[in-house]
Amino acid sequence: MSAPLSIRGLTRHFPGSATPTVEGLDLEVPAGGCVALLGPSGSGKSTVLRLVAGLDTPDGGDVAVDGRSLAGVPTEGRRTVLVFQKPRLFPHLDVLDNVAFPLAVTGLRRREARRDATRFLELVGLGDFSRRRPGTLSGGQEQRVALARALAARADVILLDEPFSALDPAVRAEMHTLLTELRAAVEPTILLVTHDRHEAAVLADTVAVLLDGRIAQHDTVSVLHAQPSSLAVNAFLGGRNVIPGHVSRGFHRSALGVLELPRVTAGESPAALVIRQESVRLTARGDSAADLTGTVVSAVDQGPRALVEVEIQGGPSETSISLIVAEVGGWAAPHVGDAVGVVLPLEQRHVLALGQDDAGPGAAVAAPGISLGAG
Amino acid sequence: MTLRRRIGLVLVAVLLLAPLIPVLGWGFAERWPYPAVTPTRWGFGGWAAAWSQGAGPAVWRSLGLGLLVAAIATPAGAAAGRALALGRVPFPRLVTAILFIPVAVPPFAVVMGLGTVSLRAGVPGLLAVVAVLVVAAIPYTTYVMRAAYASYDTAYEDTARTLGARRRDVLRRVHLPLVAPAITASAFLAFLVAWSDYVVTLVLGAGRTVTLPLLLGASAAGSGNDPTVAVLAILAIVPPTLLLLTVTRFTRRKGAQ
Repeated sequence: MSAPLSIRGLTRHFPGSATPTVEGLDLEVPAGGCVALLGPSGSGKSTVLRLVAGLDTPDGGDVAVDGRSLAGVPTEGRRTVLVFQKPRLFPHLDVLDNVAFPLAVTGLRRREARRDATRFLELVGLGDFSRRRPGTLSGGQEQRVALARALAARADVILLDEPFSALDPAVRAEMHTLLTELRAAVEPTILLVTHDRHEAAVLADTVAVLLDGRIAQHDTVSVLHAQPSSLAVNAFLGGRNVIPGHVSRGFHRSALGVLELPRVTAGESPAALVIRQESVRLTARGDSAADLTGTVVSAVDQGPRALVEVEIQGGPSETSISLIVAEVGGWAAPHVGDAVGVVLPLEQRHVLALGQDDAGPGAAVAAPGISLGAG
Repeated sequence: MTLRRRIGLVLVAVLLLAPLIPVLGWGFAERWPYPAVTPTRWGFGGWAAAWSQGAGPAVWRSLGLGLLVAAIATPAGAAAGRALALGRVPFPRLVTAILFIPVAVPPFAVVMGLGTVSLRAGVPGLLAVVAVLVVAAIPYTTYVMRAAYASYDTAYEDTARTLGARRRDVLRRVHLPLVAPAITASAFLAFLVAWSDYVVTLVLGAGRTVTLPLLLGASAAGSGNDPTVAVLAILAIVPPTLLLLTVTRFTRRKGAQ
């Protein structure tokens, strides 16, 4: 019921569009694995799913399932089920017949199809809802039925197009748990499209960041966050700390001063120091473990967490002023005006090469909440 | 329901049903001289007369004509309505205007010209009648189907296809059930166009295709045969009324789902 999905050089250029919506996209989803295609609105995520499902024709590239190219194979012969954001349960069929639909179209007798569908309906916890009409279900229940129907199709690959984004947070969390359980029970191959970083992190084994129709980076969630491949990936994943400077012989030099890097790099080049706000620790002023000292200029409560902006004084010139953002437990958040020490854990420091434009004197790299003063 | 609404409803019902009361009365009257309020002698003479004048075959002819026109105009209207609603037609406003010309132009004027043309071209009368009635019915079926397809989500079909449904399964199991109420309504309208037609059948059929309206018209043109006319009128009213009730029940049930 699960097979590897391989996408090679997939390209789609819609007539009238200045740039391709999807360009040269390569992606592998192992059998039984779940890969999230994460990207902002308009990045081409849904187009990729439609191309894989055969609902649209690519201008270039190929999609293969279990090593078999799907070029020229019609949608109904691809064994790739697409679950949309709207569950699109057939309103003229009851819940059981909706789940039995993919079995009925294979020619299975109605009684057998229903018997088989009942298993999948029970798998999603809706065994008692078989005779209900789709219109009488809640959004979460409808999406459960849509998942049961997708599983009943016994497709090689299940394509999920932002299936939970219309649900409220509590129901969405339930659906995340359900999908995790279904993955453990049935091991389907899943390509999930989402713009929700949290959803991608919770559900997928690996995450491919799709920006402007191209895969910008494909890795595990932790690597994506700690070691983004570009400033664009870092910005999309919500990285707040981008400090432009230069890197040489394992050190980064910037308005913050000289900071050691976890890995020695050859030569000297413009580079931005990137460190996740979740990795930055705040300590008491004067703490010997602190890499920097500064003053809290804002602390924004975000429920159990707080986003704290610390103005760093010092560095090569006494007039240098930079901001470092730290995300800390709300209970531990300092107050505005507090003097604090800032720890930038060595292993979490990451450098990204800067282009000519990014590295100009006093250049501030675009990142939300960051302003960098020139020395 | 407020009192004003109830009064309104009763008034509408009276307006619609009042003309039928004398028709029903004459349908079962042997004698109904003026100024008697009710027939002075009841009976089925009108029915026997209508039957002897060929009411039975005329009903069947009208039914056949209505069903045939509905069978052609409904899928044609569905195809046109879908293409128009889904933006698959260039210059949609122009196409819509052309489609609606048969409704705007007086049928008598069109049919008189067409009658000559079809005679000279050697087109069989019945074929010409069916063709013109289909053209007359298509604006109605297109209008109803375009409205239905405007709110129709083609992603249901995409979903069905990714679930393994072949095109004919998509049509049979998803597409048609979803638009069934609209198809029923447009088929009913197309049926009515043919069922109630007089001018087209008279002129293009050259009097050889005697349908119920033609028989009714001929009987009504004479005098002293009020019971026969009433029976023919009842025969003309009952089938579409039964159909309407069926259609309403069907669409209401579908709507409730």
